[in-house]
Amino acid sequence: MWVDLAITLVKILFIIGVTVGFFAPILTWVERKQSAIMQDRIGANRADILGFTAIGLFHCIADALKMFTKEDFIPEGANKILHTLSPIIAVVPAILTFAVVPFGGQYTIFDNEVNLVISDLDVGLLFVFAIASLATYGYVIAGWSSNNNWSLLGSMRTASQMISYEVTMGLTIVGVLMVYGSMKLTTIGAIQEDFFKWGLFLQPLGFFMFLAASIAENKRIPFDNPEAESEIVAGYFTEYSGLKFGMFFMSEFIEMVTIGAIMTILFFGAWHIPFLTTTTLLGWFDFLGTTGSNILVMLIQVGVFFSKVVFFIWLQMTIRWTLPRFRYDQIMKLGWKILLPLSLVNILVTGIVILVLN
Amino acid sequence: MAYYVNRNIKMTWWEKIYLPEIIKGMIITSRHFFSNLFGFIPFFLGTQKERKIMTVYYPEEQVQYPIAYRGRPVLAQNEDGHPACVACGLCEIACPAYCIHIEPGENSGKQNQYERWPDVFNIDYAICIFCGNCEEACPEEAIFMSDDCEISMLDRKKMLYTKEQLLTPVADLQKRIEFTRNMYAKWNY
Ligand code: SF4
Ligand code: SF4
Repeated sequence: MWVDLAITLVKILFIIGVTVGFFAPILTWVERKQSAIMQDRIGANRADILGFTAIGLFHCIADALKMFTKEDFIPEGANKILHTLSPIIAVVPAILTFAVVPFGGQYTIFDNEVNLVISDLDVGLLFVFAIASLATYGYVIAGWSSNNNWSLLGSMRTASQMISYEVTMGLTIVGVLMVYGSMKLTTIGAIQEDFFKWGLFLQPLGFFMFLAASIAENKRIPFDNPEAESEIVAGYFTEYSGLKFGMFFMSEFIEMVTIGAIMTILFFGAWHIPFLTTTTLLGWFDFLGTTGSNILVMLIQVGVFFSKVVFFIWLQMTIRWTLPRFRYDQIMKLGWKILLPLSLVNILVTGIVILVLN
Repeated sequence: MAYYVNRNIKMTWWEKIYLPEIIKGMIITSRHFFSNLFGFIPFFLGTQKERKIMTVYYPEEQVQYPIAYRGRPVLAQNEDGHPACVACGLCEIACPAYCIHIEPGENSGKQNQYERWPDVFNIDYAICIFCGNCEEACPEEAIFMSDDCEISMLDRKKMLYTKEQLLTPVADLQKRIEFTRNMYAKWNY
């Protein structure tokens, strides 16, 4: 009982540490640096501690300090309570999704079964989408409560975009569910031990549609109409400053990690190395004893999982710095007239193939 | 109702399915990304002198500005330390921003000496728009645009440069003098 509790606590701390403590600040730096390098520039490198710049890594600290010390401004006529509440509503679901995201398999450590997922829900996948769409409330309330036309426009765009793409996302997931026959993220991950069972090969169309839909959900370029700088200032967070702005910012980066993690689990072989099953790995390190080999394999597979997540983050950043923004009607057209029928076709084809193979 | 602009762009079906073209674009950007990423390493190891990225670390590194560059205007100072300016006031008139202030001084008729010179010659860089009209107007090759653009100050009053601050030895201005001679065809008739 106490051991279980301790293990769960460690897992929670690990996930929060990795997402909020590591990825969110580091990604602000990665975003700048990657865009710079892609555009043949150098990027942020001036923040230094005692003349030591560490290729600009201290900008994360400088950013955080700036966010903390800036004036927290609430505009006149704004609804103070909702204005304060909405960044929290936006950031909490982003972190909460990680409760069901497995970042490793099952290992035996000191006779304890350690399952590297905080809560192994049977409806894990549904939970992810249910919670992720809660964040929409944060954005909509933010736009409504700040008494600003741009914010309101931004939040309306967020709402319509989220609804449109949630449909595609849900239908894409149906294909994945039909292939794997489970909603449990751990099961889906475990099935992909076989390289040829990766979602990328079983659901190639689903992969691309899910990628597009999830980027649209995260409101990043090319789907960043809700915060389109050139049209509506900054969209729903126009009136935010200081730490509250930082929270919106953070939720975007954490959602990037979430998307990376979900994509990895559904389509990219979760924590598995291609052609290397967990049993093979355990066999290699057999000389370390059960616990030793399990710990080593655990470290390797968690590392593999997070490198895949990093790859997806890189992919999202590359897309963000390559493509221009869609027009609003183009987004709606893409969502309802192209992605939605395609995802239905995807389900149909998947069903036929499964029927024929059985 | 959305308003459609007909740009007469005919897309082939290959472009219309959108994905291949996107991937093409992303290959280009990622090519830059990786070549720059790994291009950095030899530079930092010191095995390669030239960096691929052309960004200049400004205060530490500086580039030579082209000779046509118009920085702050300066007064030419002859080899004997005297300003070349004769205080004719043409630059003062030519200046569209009215930022030049001249008070002339002249000698009392002694032979073989400078006849006129500016006693006071002020240029207020806070007002100057770096147009180069003063240089063009000057008949004596006495005022030139230098390549110095670092004249930011914390106090506006300090941006009013006096004659002593403006004087620059003519030897330092040689290139610019030649350039203006070609440009404005001065002294070439
Ligand atoms: S550069 Fe133009 S504005 Fe400046 S002093 Fe000369 S004439 Fe006046
Ligand atoms: S700088 Fe040239 S134009 Fe101006 S007063 Fe002197 S001689 Fe005349």
